Amino acid sequence: MNYRAAIALRKTVDIAVTALVAAVCLAPILWGLSTSLKPANRIMEYPPRLVPETISFEHYQTLWDQGILHYIMNSVLVSAFTIALCLGVGSLAGYALARFAFPGKSAILFTIVAVMSVPISSLLVPTFGFMVDLNLLNTRTGLVLLYAAYELPMTVWILQAFFQTIPVELERAAMVDGYSRMQAIRRVILPLSTTGLVAAGLFVLTFAWNDFVVALVMTTNEDARTLPIAIYNFLGYYGREWGPLTAGAMVSIVPLITIFVIFQRHFLAGATGGSVKG
Amino acid sequence: MTHGSNRAAWWLVTPFLAMELIFVAIPLGIGAFLSFYKVDFLERTDFVGLGNYWTVITSPAVLRSLWLTTVFTSFALIFTFAAGFSLALLFQRDTRLHIFGRAVVLIPFTISMLVGSMLLKWIFSSEAGLMTTVLAPLGLGNVSILADPNNAMAALVFNAMWRDAAFAMILLMAGLKSVPLQLYDAAKIDGAGPIQRFVKITLPMMRLPILITFVRLIIHFTNILTFPLILTGGGPSDATTILGLQLYRTGFQDYRLGIANAFALMLFAFNIVLILIVIRLFRAKEQQA
Repeated sequence: MNYRAAIALRKTVDIAVTALVAAVCLAPILWGLSTSLKPANRIMEYPPRLVPETISFEHYQTLWDQGILHYIMNSVLVSAFTIALCLGVGSLAGYALARFAFPGKSAILFTIVAVMSVPISSLLVPTFGFMVDLNLLNTRTGLVLLYAAYELPMTVWILQAFFQTIPVELERAAMVDGYSRMQAIRRVILPLSTTGLVAAGLFVLTFAWNDFVVALVMTTNEDARTLPIAIYNFLGYYGREWGPLTAGAMVSIVPLITIFVIFQRHFLAGATGGSVKG
Repeated sequence: MTHGSNRAAWWLVTPFLAMELIFVAIPLGIGAFLSFYKVDFLERTDFVGLGNYWTVITSPAVLRSLWLTTVFTSFALIFTFAAGFSLALLFQRDTRLHIFGRAVVLIPFTISMLVGSMLLKWIFSSEAGLMTTVLAPLGLGNVSILADPNNAMAALVFNAMWRDAAFAMILLMAGLKSVPLQLYDAAKIDGAGPIQRFVKITLPMMRLPILITFVRLIIHFTNILTFPLILTGGGPSDATTILGLQLYRTGFQDYRLGIANAFALMLFAFNIVLILIVIRLFRAKEQQA
């Protein structure tokens, strides 16, 4: 086999394997999308049809009629405030860890690694009673505070790694020109850190938008319930009506994937720049 | 930075540390306190000492879930690690195709766990007809997946692999990229084949990333709640009620919070042991770098 044929073969195998992997990863999602667009009486048809013959939005209409908007708004608000809190508090701590050598610094770094590894489900039981005591059960504020506490270690980690890549001279110059340290952070460091902030924000968004177990335990009425809880309750309520269920799944997936596509450059920089936890 | 004082640094990290103290450390402290009491529907009543701990470790349901967790974690670990390592090797070059491949693999990991498990439940359910169509040519047309104990466990393991192979891939890929390419070139010149290069260079150089990936996956799988809660509901007949789900039921369906706190703290202690291992490995990696 000559050299060129070997390269062509290798490329073909490469593409075929990638296609196979993509098929396994995406099949459940595409099948869900297909189901969500089928009229109710065609969902169970046999043999199953991957591409719907007729497209219907009736299941999305059902969700709308059931008041899904309330839960979507809760998810949006909780995610937005969690991101703001994480990036605000996280930039300060990340800056300190990136720029100062102070006693206790390595203890903080190891605390970060430890908290990043704590599985949240093992915290649920003790946290539940505490949230009751603080009157934070069934509040969006409660969810924001918990989510921020759980995602801050990751945020601080990403941001301190990013801040280290910004030359110290820039803020020294700004401080010689009369900026205070806080002004230097706000006007010099943060504007140069969009990539790091977006990468950290995407991690926080993914957690807050997707979280199911924390919201499941910390909300006992409809007030603060988020989209995943609504979907879970549909699972109990509709049982095996897969039309509305898969439609709900798509409502959860599509906005998130869209945001990732929009910010893909930042995300890939964050995911490959050594900033991934572990 | 010389002109920065320690005090400034501590001011900057205080809000962060306060958040972790209030919402992670204090709940754990309260949980530890409550684990020594009998708690009925949020009312703390009698001091029972280690009674709750005894109740947990002698409960047949807990012991069964412990065994099921061991089974689940072992299989999920093997398959997820193998898939993640294969994917990391497969997509390690920064070509367009490989970057696309990585992005697609990350999708199941990025979407909500709840939604992922629900979509798999729909695929595996007999009503969808999808698995029946796929399996019928293999003579397995009548096999039910979620209604059979062993198959349900296998489905749970598949769920873990489908979602978390990407997590293993990311952790391992960072390690792969840090292996100096000259080593491979030198080995090639010395006549080492691809398998020899993998065994003699890649594996030894990747020792720490591999161990970190292992421990992190074990922590993740031993505590997992969403997969069994959604995909199998712990069934059929509790065959997939692993620890995370057992704990959730004790706390939030039976509302036996004293017992649940004792249970959660024992699980947490187990996690701490693994987390200390992660930190040690992490420290070793930092020193190596």
